[in-house]
Amino acid sequence: MHLEWLRLLAPETIVVVTALIVLMADLTLFRQKPITFRAAVAGMIATLGCLIAIFWLEELSVSQKLGMLSLSPLTQMIKQAILALTIFTALISFSAKFTRHIGEYFALLLVATVGLLFLISSENLLMIFVSLELLSLSLYAMVAFNKASLASSEAALKYFLFGGMAAAFTLYGISLIYGLTGSLELPEIATKLSAQTATPALFLALVMTLIGFAFKLAAAPFHLWAPDAYQGAPTQIASFIASGSKIGSFFVLARILAVGFPQNTGSAAFCSWTSGWAPILALLAVISMLLGNIVAIMQSSVKRLLAYSAIAHGGYALLAFFGTGTRAMSALMFYVITYAITVLGAFAVVAMVENGSNREQMRDFAGLSRRAPVLSACMAVFMLSLAGIPPLAGFFGKFYVFTVALSGPQNLGLLWLVIVAISASAISLYYYLQVLKQIYVADVPAHPAPLDTNVIARGAIVVLAAAVVLMGCLPGPTLEKLATAMAKSIF
Amino acid sequence: MLPIVKYLWLIPALPLLAAGLAALLKKERRASAATLAIGSMSISFLLALAAFLPTLSHGEHGVFRECFNFTWFEFADNTFQSASTVQLGWVLDPLTAMMLVMVTFVGLLIFIYSVGYMAHDENFTRFFCFLALFAAAMLGIVIANSLLLLFISWELVGLASYLLIGFWYHKPSAAAAAKKAFITTRVGDMGFLLGMLWLYSKTGTLLFYDGGNGCLEQSALIKLVAETTMCGMAISTAISILIFCGAAGKSGQVPLHVWLPDAMEGPTPVSALIHAATMVAAGVFLMARIYPLLSASADPATISTGLKVVAWVGSITAVFAACIAVAQNDIKRILAYSTVSQLGYMMLGLGVGGVAVGMFHLITHAFFKALLFLGSGSVIHGCHEEQDIRKMGGLRILMPITFATYAIGMLALCGFPLLFSGFWSKDEILASAHHWQISQIPFYLGVIGAFLTAFYMTRQMFYVFFGSPTVSPAAVADTKAKHSHNPHSSHSHEPATSIHESPPVMTMPLVILAVFAVLLGLIGTPAWPWFHGYLAGHSPKVDLGKLAEDAGLMLVSAVVVFTAMGLSWLVYSKVTLQKSREVDPLEKAQPFFWRLLANKFYIDELYEVTIIRLNKAFSVLSDWLDRTFWTGVVTMISHLTVGLSWLSRKIDEDLVNGGFDHGCDGLRESSRNLSKAQNGQTQFYFRVLGIAFVALVLALIWRAK
Repeated sequence: MHLEWLRLLAPETIVVVTALIVLMADLTLFRQKPITFRAAVAGMIATLGCLIAIFWLEELSVSQKLGMLSLSPLTQMIKQAILALTIFTALISFSAKFTRHIGEYFALLLVATVGLLFLISSENLLMIFVSLELLSLSLYAMVAFNKASLASSEAALKYFLFGGMAAAFTLYGISLIYGLTGSLELPEIATKLSAQTATPALFLALVMTLIGFAFKLAAAPFHLWAPDAYQGAPTQIASFIASGSKIGSFFVLARILAVGFPQNTGSAAFCSWTSGWAPILALLAVISMLLGNIVAIMQSSVKRLLAYSAIAHGGYALLAFFGTGTRAMSALMFYVITYAITVLGAFAVVAMVENGSNREQMRDFAGLSRRAPVLSACMAVFMLSLAGIPPLAGFFGKFYVFTVALSGPQNLGLLWLVIVAISASAISLYYYLQVLKQIYVADVPAHPAPLDTNVIARGAIVVLAAAVVLMGCLPGPTLEKLATAMAKSIF
Repeated sequence: MLPIVKYLWLIPALPLLAAGLAALLKKERRASAATLAIGSMSISFLLALAAFLPTLSHGEHGVFRECFNFTWFEFADNTFQSASTVQLGWVLDPLTAMMLVMVTFVGLLIFIYSVGYMAHDENFTRFFCFLALFAAAMLGIVIANSLLLLFISWELVGLASYLLIGFWYHKPSAAAAAKKAFITTRVGDMGFLLGMLWLYSKTGTLLFYDGGNGCLEQSALIKLVAETTMCGMAISTAISILIFCGAAGKSGQVPLHVWLPDAMEGPTPVSALIHAATMVAAGVFLMARIYPLLSASADPATISTGLKVVAWVGSITAVFAACIAVAQNDIKRILAYSTVSQLGYMMLGLGVGGVAVGMFHLITHAFFKALLFLGSGSVIHGCHEEQDIRKMGGLRILMPITFATYAIGMLALCGFPLLFSGFWSKDEILASAHHWQISQIPFYLGVIGAFLTAFYMTRQMFYVFFGSPTVSPAAVADTKAKHSHNPHSSHSHEPATSIHESPPVMTMPLVILAVFAVLLGLIGTPAWPWFHGYLAGHSPKVDLGKLAEDAGLMLVSAVVVFTAMGLSWLVYSKVTLQKSREVDPLEKAQPFFWRLLANKFYIDELYEVTIIRLNKAFSVLSDWLDRTFWTGVVTMISHLTVGLSWLSRKIDEDLVNGGFDHGCDGLRESSRNLSKAQNGQTQFYFRVLGIAFVALVLALIWRAK
């Protein structure tokens, strides 16, 4: 019995053990070695651990409830995606120059990953909260990792304060829900709620619970931490916050709303709003898309620009919540996964350019195409995919999400939302092209700062760019895999 | 299906190929061009004979008839629900076979004759190219099993005719005649086209025979007869009259006959082949082909309006043209009007007596008229391009073969009793007209026409072949002056004074044609009407008694012919001996009528002052409208467009671009302002969080019922 449980939870266990190994090895064996060597070793161990976890997950294709957890082929697949993103984060951290505490850095990254893995498995509100806190606490610490930088500390503090406040709201919301239903299990909450009429207390609970996730998704107006944290944090960490962490948060939010509150959807259709979580999400989506895209126009820092772009993309992804059934879920996951890959790549390029310094302004990218053509081409792929230009992955992600939003139960009632999304998308092209303009059109400055030349990191970027092109040109296999996983899951 | 039916298309295809190849030849390759044309025509003739043989045996339903149809293209059509098809095809039946043999045979003889006649022409190659093209098109008409294919070939024939009439295009009169022929026949073709389209819209097919679905077969005819159009006319009648318009244009029926005499500007072999033997007969052939449609009427006992129209137009044309022929002096023009007149006879025969009667005259006429034209060509050739009969004379001694063959042709045309084919075919037309239920007037018109024909042909004989054998030197000088700009005319000839017999290459065809002009009559005598049986699909019996039945009528027509010839002899035998032949005795007696006839009843002048003047007035009006009114409209529109484009530029620059710029500025402005909200103060962030939380909760509670 316990052996079986261990088998099912082996991926999480492996990652935890890997985290401990990394920490111990770095603190004991390699303490005196040069930083780059230590980073490489730790990165390799972390990568290895994650790879083993990925392959183990490949073997597990069960649909099973396990105490507070609930496993299914879908969760296995999302976990694999997250582990893969962790690997890429580790790979681009090989040349990390912002800290000497290599062991702690990789251990924290792995612990955050464990938090994500549990988050994805949970079907219990308490478990979800605990996993979320595990993730968040690891990330707070990682944002503050660049001890030499004041901005890093400031960002970490803001992130922590805002996150703590959001967590408080969520916990309060959870306790209200427990009070209303007497349960923390999502399916049970659903059955209990279906017997009740919607009361203001429920709405209060719903909004409070959602605030915590809106914070994690950086959905406006709960986004205020994001630009500061993205800019201040070491770029590798920012990339993980924007990619792996986003996937987990979106998945668990979808799970909570679909499994726990299927009766309380409400409607966000034009001129016929009814209360429920749908209008809240619609509001968040609209504000995020408009605010994220408009404010991004004026940004001179590429990381800040990517932060606002992340806010806007969170808005787009929220549109998938208005569809129903497996199609909506697979559109959401396809969108979030492709976005995560793209934004991870974009941050990785930024990390290459700033090379341990803080020079990640637009002007620091001037003439990059002449200095690093491959890197520039990858950045072009990422930027155009983020802007949603076919045939890149970003276009199909957006396309599926918009289609799903229009095919929901309200039929064309959500057309207004899609129109806003498309207009916002048009605005976004401007600032993405600004970056490319700097790279391809602007002249090389007289004394450009040296670029990071780490081969492994560059290789990882090329792989990510190839994935973006491939998933854009051939979205079929990924979608098919999502669909089969979903069909086998009790979601 | 017989192999010959499947490969019937080769008969027109071979001359077409020859025409195409000849068109590619250099001017100097004269022998190759002639070989190509004559060779292809010979093979076509053999194929035509091969096609002719099976038609001699009768099919199951009387007439031997086999067709080969194929789909040309398909298109979606709402009228017939399903996809409509346009089919083409060819048919082999007695009518086709007989025409094939006639056209290829006469054509072949004329091709051979042309080698001699055109020997000195520098555009010899081009001439044979056109001749072959014409033959291909004419054979296309003959084999067509689709009105559309027939129409296509019909227009090709028109084109070939245009090219050949205008062959000597440097002569303004030839160019004008070509234009006139083309335009006049086009007037008739307009009716043909309309009739064809109407037929297609009613029956959905243009195939003549298609195993019961063709437009000439029972089911289609019943449908066409049942519907009536304006004035209570059956649709079948209306359509056939429209198609008759085309036939009238091609066959020179009144009032569209004006182009045919002018067409004599072309080389004489062309006149013989196209404007006497074959093409002009195409109209008669077309009528014979659509005879089921033409004769269809709701009540089988009554004669359809279409047939009546054909009979009346034919009889009027027969007399009308014969009158004009009396007062002409150009040897070819006399023959041309005679052709018009004889075509009228054919139409009359078709109208009153059916396909066999009309077609029999068509066949016999083809041979003797070709003979006469080639003979006249020989005369013209011998007299160095002289065409005025008053300037000829005594040629019977100088050109004995020409004289003998020409005399045979002339007697056949006049309908000289018993021996000559023309007598039998014309007599049959008159007999049918006599038995016509509707009216006797066509019969009397026919008799008058026969009288006039005998009269003017005898007159021509006297002028050309009798009397003094010399052409006055003044006339020769005149001729030379007339043709001095014409390089092919006389520079290579012998001295102008020596009138000579034509070379054998020209006289041989004359002899062959003369033989047929005599013998052909035997296949259609009342005693042994093989020709009728052949066309109708039953075996004829020899019955001499029939001869006796029609004896009265034959006697009448013989008397008419003899009287006319005798009268003509009386008038002209003396004149031809005189030196001064400029003034015709009849002109002295009746100057007014003579002038009327000599000027062809002033028909051309009538057209000149009516239709052409109207057309010119209309052109002037159109020109005026074009220059003032339409130009004004166009200018106005252009100004309007300029105005509009100015407006849209303004809109574009000020409203769209301006609006866009304004929008972008707005976006930047709001971006700047919103960026300021991100002030880095955590206190402010929490305030926003709190406000958003309260607002969301309130919104939900407010909207909850």
